[in-house]
Amino acid sequence: MEKKLLILLIFMVFLSPIFGVILAEKVGYHEPLDIAASLLGLKEHDIVNYHTPFEDYSFPGLGPVAGYIASGLLGVAIILAIGVIASKLVKSR
Amino acid sequence: MLIFRVHISMRNGAPLLHIPDGFLDVYWITITYLATIGYFTIIGKRSRSIFRPETISTVTTIAAIVFVAQMFNWPIPGGTSLHFLGSALAGIILGPALGSIALALVLVVQALVFHDGGITTLGANILNMAIIGVLTGYATFRFFMRLLKNTDGKKRIFISSFMAGWISLFIAGIACGLEIGLSPRFPYGVLITIPVMGIWHLVLGVVEGIITGLIVLYVYERNPHLVMGLEGI
Repeated sequence: MEKKLLILLIFMVFLSPIFGVILAEKVGYHEPLDIAASLLGLKEHDIVNYHTPFEDYSFPGLGPVAGYIASGLLGVAIILAIGVIASKLVKSR
Repeated sequence: MLIFRVHISMRNGAPLLHIPDGFLDVYWITITYLATIGYFTIIGKRSRSIFRPETISTVTTIAAIVFVAQMFNWPIPGGTSLHFLGSALAGIILGPALGSIALALVLVVQALVFHDGGITTLGANILNMAIIGVLTGYATFRFFMRLLKNTDGKKRIFISSFMAGWISLFIAGIACGLEIGLSPRFPYGVLITIPVMGIWHLVLGVVEGIITGLIVLYVYERNPHLVMGLEGI
């Protein structure tokens, strides 16, 4: 990935809690999927016992805003790392 | 008269079209997983170009952009949020097969690392956003590129990408509504979910279209060869 693009993505991750956390809490909005599901009485529940320390873009030991940023950086790092590992595997074949 | 009570919890990270665990019954879980596995098996066998380092790098770059873009939700008071899904963008820039892989990578990371979207519903989420959304976006883009062949280059790219973003979000929303509407054990679920999902995503699709149009135009102006959806047009 180009360095400029990576810097832009990191900058965007730092901005993202303004929209994903702060404004969301102030405004209290709901996605259409949640509205449709609640009209049907569908409830979110675990069918398989799966938990992650980064549930809903939180991060252990950090508040919602810092956690959202840390989660964003972690997500980008994981996706790019998968790319690097996959490229190396392909090259070595 | 039926009165519905709406109780919805707030959480970080907008669910967009990410169906959580518990919304789909076992039949839909099975059907959507099988359809998704079948699709990726076919493109894995057909698209040998996937297994090149430069292709992998492009796919993961687009996946990282879509992942970050999906973290931006501009809440609308009393309603929903303006957000970006990225299915059409991935389809236009990468083509249908690689676009689907990029979106699927984002959805797998979101589900497994952040539990955004369920584990049992991962097949459905990939089907709706990485397959239906990407294929619809790609096909719509090419349809409008051909339809507008006498239009000025930049305008043609923007309108075609705008329509691709708009229609792909609408269709992905309808598919999601169909799956959750047919899951409960009563017959009128789809009569509720299809209008809710359809109307909202028809409106939200305008934003998806504008963002898709601007990004594709930006990439096209710098290097048209990077827009794989233009191949053969």
